[in-house]
Amino acid sequence: MAEDLVLDTAIRDWVLIPLSVVMVLIGVLRHFVAKLMRSNQVPDAKIVKEGQVVIRARNLRAGANFIPPKSFRARRLYFSNEENGLLYVPKGQAQNAQAQMFSDPNMAMDMMKKNLSMIIPQTLTFAWVNFFFSGFVAAKIPFPLTQRFRSMLQNGIDLSTVDVSYVSSRSWYFLNLFGLRGLFSLILGEENATDDTQRMMQMSGFGFDPTKSLGAEKDSLDIVQHDWALPKFEQRAEAVLRKALR
Amino acid sequence: MVSKTEETQLSNLENQVDNGGGGAWEFLCLVRKLKVRRSEKVLKHGLSILRDPKNRSSLGPDEWTLYEQVAIAAMDCQCLNVAKDCIKVLHKKFPESKRVGRLEALLLEANGSWEEAEKAYSSLLEDNPLDQAIHKRRVAMARAQGNMSAAIEFLNKYLETFMADHDAWRELAEIYVSLQMYKQAAFCYEELILSQPMVPQYHLAYADVLYTLGGLENLQTAKKYYASTIDLTGGKNTRALFGICLCSSAIGQLSKGRNKDDKESPELQSLAATALEREYKQIAPDKLSLLSTALKSLKVSA
Repeated sequence: MAEDLVLDTAIRDWVLIPLSVVMVLIGVLRHFVAKLMRSNQVPDAKIVKEGQVVIRARNLRAGANFIPPKSFRARRLYFSNEENGLLYVPKGQAQNAQAQMFSDPNMAMDMMKKNLSMIIPQTLTFAWVNFFFSGFVAAKIPFPLTQRFRSMLQNGIDLSTVDVSYVSSRSWYFLNLFGLRGLFSLILGEENATDDTQRMMQMSGFGFDPTKSLGAEKDSLDIVQHDWALPKFEQRAEAVLRKALR
Repeated sequence: MVSKTEETQLSNLENQVDNGGGGAWEFLCLVRKLKVRRSEKVLKHGLSILRDPKNRSSLGPDEWTLYEQVAIAAMDCQCLNVAKDCIKVLHKKFPESKRVGRLEALLLEANGSWEEAEKAYSSLLEDNPLDQAIHKRRVAMARAQGNMSAAIEFLNKYLETFMADHDAWRELAEIYVSLQMYKQAAFCYEELILSQPMVPQYHLAYADVLYTLGGLENLQTAKKYYASTIDLTGGKNTRALFGICLCSSAIGQLSKGRNKDDKESPELQSLAATALEREYKQIAPDKLSLLSTALKSLKVSA
């Protein structure tokens, strides 16, 4: 129904604010623990070289119109040549990347550490929130929502007549989880270990797969048509000089 | 390449510190961040901070970074005793550090003991074969000793792995030009233009190399690149203006026999000449007559 529920200000003092404060503190703690536990990773020569090759190929594509056609063609051949081109990867090697990632003990340990440092505090905080702060209405969302959100946002409230805008503290927890990222980048500087959402997106695309990016670069390089921009520059220079001399 | 706002910020801070106002620490941090080379100022102000124990302790962990910065600046200004003291302090604090090892090898290099420095660098490279700074130091050492072929070899090997490092390409281009290997230099400048197409200096240098190589096709390409430099700098680059005039007259000379209708940009040369005359009138009026005679001789042959 559409009546307004009056929420006790004590809820704000003792639920919303402490929950936010606790999440900020846990985030800061995680950042420093991650800094302490970070192992020194020796970069692999092959991976570095492949990264640089990709950058150079990308530059070639971007600036292709600024160099003479002969040089561009020579460089393109150098990159995508069948026998010893830099970007050419024979099919057999393509599968190895993922297997290698698992078998390399350092990398596997590193990923496990990062995942753990993310999962454990989240689980603990979630359990704590559920235990202490469930069963009552915590806040009201300022915009109306449909009935579908009821199961997600009102977990502890078993009344089906309460407006969906009134949410429980679990949704406040989720809001904080995704929203405090901006605050952390203010407090802790740009690169902090609490950027969960970024890491969650990275987990789906498993790690750095060099062979695929090389193949992608080669394909895009093959597509590029060279349209030499320099002749236009002569006319532009004329125009510039004419304007400057007026 | 430092952006203009950063450049002005740096010079403001520099003036402020020079005239006795505070802000020495911010100046040093900015120099470190922008990686510019202001060794005398860094040495003077850095030492004044370090000599005062109260200032030193207020820096906290950044004190060691400051020691490193002052040590490098001291070596650049040939105050090797200062550098040795700084490195000694750092060595006491971080005995097994690779960064301190690099500084010690730099000190050997500054002293002129090339073989020992080479040995130190090789041992550091064995531990960490992907350390870019050490590779570059080896190249710089070879160049300082005048051993250009070794420098080229080192640099080429470095670029095989780190091929997106445009500073290295620039260094290689300069070495090639100094050795008059213009074709290779042209290749390096093309790499630079690819990575940073809007920087006029690279266009200008490429055009210079092409003009030096000679031949009708190269001259035409050079003229186009001089034109692009003019476009990128808004017509203010004197060298590019001269380049246009020289290229046009050289092309005219080469294609005098053939009936080549130059419909690309017939007025570019006259415009460039007029712009040059105006600039000389403004900046160096006493040399204007020299300029006019030179331009006349160019136009006569065209």
